[in-house]
Amino acid sequence: MECTHCHGQLNRYIDGELGYVEVAELQQHLGFCPDCARELRELSALRGTLAAWGGTALAPSPGFAERVMTGLAAEPAPGSPRPLGQVVDETLDTLDRALGHLPLPGGRKVPVKNVIGWALAAIALVEAGRRRGRREREARSW
Amino acid sequence: MASSNPKEWRTPPDPSPADLARAAAGEHDAFRLIVERYQSMVYSVAYNLLGAHVDAEDAAQEVFLRCYRTLPQYRRESSFSTWLFRLALTTSLDYQRRERRRPEPAELPDVADGAPGLGEGVDARTLVDALAELPDDYRTPTVLRDVYGLPYQEIADLTGRPLGTVKVMVHRGRAALRLRLRAGGVRGDA
Repeated sequence: MECTHCHGQLNRYIDGELGYVEVAELQQHLGFCPDCARELRELSALRGTLAAWGGTALAPSPGFAERVMTGLAAEPAPGSPRPLGQVVDETLDTLDRALGHLPLPGGRKVPVKNVIGWALAAIALVEAGRRRGRREREARSW
Repeated sequence: MASSNPKEWRTPPDPSPADLARAAAGEHDAFRLIVERYQSMVYSVAYNLLGAHVDAEDAAQEVFLRCYRTLPQYRRESSFSTWLFRLALTTSLDYQRRERRRPEPAELPDVADGAPGLGEGVDARTLVDALAELPDDYRTPTVLRDVYGLPYQEIADLTGRPLGTVKVMVHRGRAALRLRLRAGGVRGDA
């Protein structure tokens, strides 16, 4: 069974987020706890592995640059007015970044901007129904 | 906001100011030089965040398309490679939110610059599979933190999550990866 004494501390330790006293206490614990010492060695090795992977240049499939340039052929020159669809796409991406997502049951997520959109649509429907009802009442009263 | 800081030895040298000016003016030959020089860096970022080759190529194409459109707005406040690296991060995360497929553990991209030294007993196959098995909520912040070395605050800004949540996700991602890679040999016994 693994020691739970420094649960969470080891991550903060390798991230350099512990204070002087916390580091001293942790190092003292590591001196006699083989579980935590092993976990620290594994975490350090993992970080080294991931950093090495980050420095690894992966290659796209052959002809990638050509496909990019083909895709650019239909593009207007940089800085010229952009098509409406492109502006809408970029605005929606920006909204997604700014507003985030709401978690749903089953691990799914829904963009907050969609929820806002649905809420606005629902309000518009209710308001339209209310106005229609009012018009009908007014028509009947005449 | 803190700046992204891709490792120097991974990023190619910046294009000359004259080449950048020509590309920003819409000269395709000048932009082709940028694509050829940075395609590996951009694709690597997209692959590590998305975990699927098809998605990574789609996102990488989108990165260069956005680069072409926004190049006139590049103000030289950072190096071009840092600017493009950040564009690759934000575009890949946008792609992930929009239309990402699940990672496909069977596919392994070509390594452009030789076999990496990933640690004793760990090969690229093992690591790619372990990353692909992580849920997105763990994978994305863990990749940003430990693969690309971004500060926690910048990860929080990029992903739109609270700082504390990001830290918890990274800690859980590391724990999950550590368990998965134990069988692959990352034991830190040296």
